[in-house]
Amino acid sequence: MKRLIAVLIALLISGTVGASEPRLGLLRLADDPRFDDEFAYARIALRPHGDVRTAVQLGISDMQMLANARGLTPVLTEASVDQEGLIDAAQQMVADGVTHLIVDLPAAHVDTLANALSDTQATILNTTAPDDWLRRKCHANLLHTAASDRMIADALIQHAVSHKWDSVLVLRGKTERDGIRADAFLQAAARFRIRIVADREFDLSTNPSMREQNNIALITGGRRDYDAVFIADEIGEFSRYVPYQTALPRPIIGATGLVALEWHWAFERYGAPQVNSRFETLANDGRRMGWQDWSAWIASRAVVTAFAKTRSDELEDVNAFLRSHKLRLDGSKGAQMSFRPWNGQLRMPILMSTHNAILSVAPLEGFLHQTNTLDALGFDESEFSCD
Amino acid sequence: MRNLLFALLFSLLPLSASALDTGRIFVSNEKSHDIYVFDPDYNLIKKIETSRRPRDMKFNAARTLLYVACGDDDIIDVIDVETLEIVDGIPTGPSPEVFEFSPDESQIYVSNEEDSMLEIIDVEVRITVHDVPTGAEPEGVIVSPDSDTLYVTSEVADMVHVVDRVNGVVTNNIIVGTRPRRFIITPDTNELWVSAELSSEIYVIDRTTEEITEVLEFLPPGFRPEDVTPVGMALTRDGKIGLISLGRANHVAVIDALTKEILAYVLVGNRAWSVALTSDEKIAVVANGLSDDITLIDMETYRPIRSIPVGRVPHTVVIDD
Repeated sequence: MKRLIAVLIALLISGTVGASEPRLGLLRLADDPRFDDEFAYARIALRPHGDVRTAVQLGISDMQMLANARGLTPVLTEASVDQEGLIDAAQQMVADGVTHLIVDLPAAHVDTLANALSDTQATILNTTAPDDWLRRKCHANLLHTAASDRMIADALIQHAVSHKWDSVLVLRGKTERDGIRADAFLQAAARFRIRIVADREFDLSTNPSMREQNNIALITGGRRDYDAVFIADEIGEFSRYVPYQTALPRPIIGATGLVALEWHWAFERYGAPQVNSRFETLANDGRRMGWQDWSAWIASRAVVTAFAKTRSDELEDVNAFLRSHKLRLDGSKGAQMSFRPWNGQLRMPILMSTHNAILSVAPLEGFLHQTNTLDALGFDESEFSCD
Repeated sequence: MRNLLFALLFSLLPLSASALDTGRIFVSNEKSHDIYVFDPDYNLIKKIETSRRPRDMKFNAARTLLYVACGDDDIIDVIDVETLEIVDGIPTGPSPEVFEFSPDESQIYVSNEEDSMLEIIDVEVRITVHDVPTGAEPEGVIVSPDSDTLYVTSEVADMVHVVDRVNGVVTNNIIVGTRPRRFIITPDTNELWVSAELSSEIYVIDRTTEEITEVLEFLPPGFRPEDVTPVGMALTRDGKIGLISLGRANHVAVIDALTKEILAYVLVGNRAWSVALTSDEKIAVVANGLSDDITLIDMETYRPIRSIPVGRVPHTVVIDD
């Protein structure tokens, strides 16, 4: 009974926000061009969409009891702003006491924001920008829970190597992001001596004079054989027509077919089904948990975990714990995770997904690393340098 | 001929009529929806088809009935240990995984990983009489043999809830390592051990003060700390030797339960989880979730003797001793 009273008192005390309370902020663009539902001709929503707020809330509610046991009450502030108002909104949040800012923004905006907040105590968690150049900026106030392009590429290459796909045809879109993703794939392929038989740019038009680029049989044709086709196509408008129409009957990876992701609703191990059902209950729009939701969920879990498990009231100590190997974060992917000290990237398993099945989880068996197997994905410490 | 059969049956009856101490080994297989039953010489004598996704199993005190939580049919199947037939079923909330009986067997405590509740079910009237809210994904449940306390883990909230099972309230929360899974209670030293799967640790908690007294870590040769994912545990009856399955490190650690000194690492199958000891404590049986087999460990030499195939994704081993 005495203990019960103690718990009640702790709950009452925690009602008042103290200096070391977890104050989370969520910031995204009201009109993010990456998630434009109506971009595709048929108005089919091709790209991942949906508000990551549900995921952030789930992360906080999952950790509520742990936080309460420590007398902490996580508070979430959120804003959806236009591009011009972004910095002001972020600075206002930080001025209002937000200690950790979870952002769902394109890489350039994250970069600008990290610079703008560099003289504050706030930490930014990037949940949806996979660009490696953003990691190479080495902002001290920035952590990444989105997998980097290179981690995704390395996972695909591990699959190719383990299935003896020695040569790959690369098709890339004309957007900047498609170029980045294709280049990451080329780098990953070079590490394992996967031969790139051709690297071709596709075109979305039906212009006959560009048939070499927009006709699937022609763009996948030629005299040289290949074991698989890799497509870099973040919009997804081109890639959805490629399977079953290639000049040679070969599997498609990257943008469709077999894709490498942070998360997928079909994952059935390590407690993933429970995470998915909690998300679906909370989402109340029938949406399934996607890769970007996982990254937002794990960002809020990481922050609250650090507050609850640091045996100190100082924000500095919380942030040191958050960045240390002691974090041992569980993302329901069967591995203990922490942020890489050299670039703030969360090391994580990557799911090898088809449209409705998880074939395997990278790092695949046999792909080892001298210190942490998860570091077989992405730029390793020895090959990484800040810009 | 028929008379001869009857005579044979009758001559067998006195043997099987004593439900106690058949020495049979039961292995639940969560993906083939069955229980493999082995005789004490490890011969497969029956595959019992259960409701879907059988996981944790517990005997009643008389050891005449075996209860099996079936996660995908929301039921605890009841099996007659003598006839090996399903004789009854107790409905539960969604996705029951681990459960325990109250000492008088009037109640069952089930962790319900979908709804984040510890359900208290009245065995007699078959209804949930109380739900205790827990952190997300509650898993391990253990009832104190000597008090009204029970303990339940929350895999997501990284804590052990201390529950007053009579009043159905949480009285304390103990923060432990990442993804806490299962418990054992030591007989003499009043310790509660908790396996933390993803921080590769065993937390030793003093049950009187409810404080963590020790954190045990394991590292079998040739493995990395992050490969060590401890889940299942077993103790000899005298409380002197502890067995801890190390999951993906494919080993079982044998430790001195008093000094916590590591005595041996025994190589078993893939993702070793559940561990059980035979009645003479000469053999430990380990279920290997990802190689669909069980491994027998000689408890004198701490060496694996043999592995025996079972159904798909073996979850729990119990032995009728």
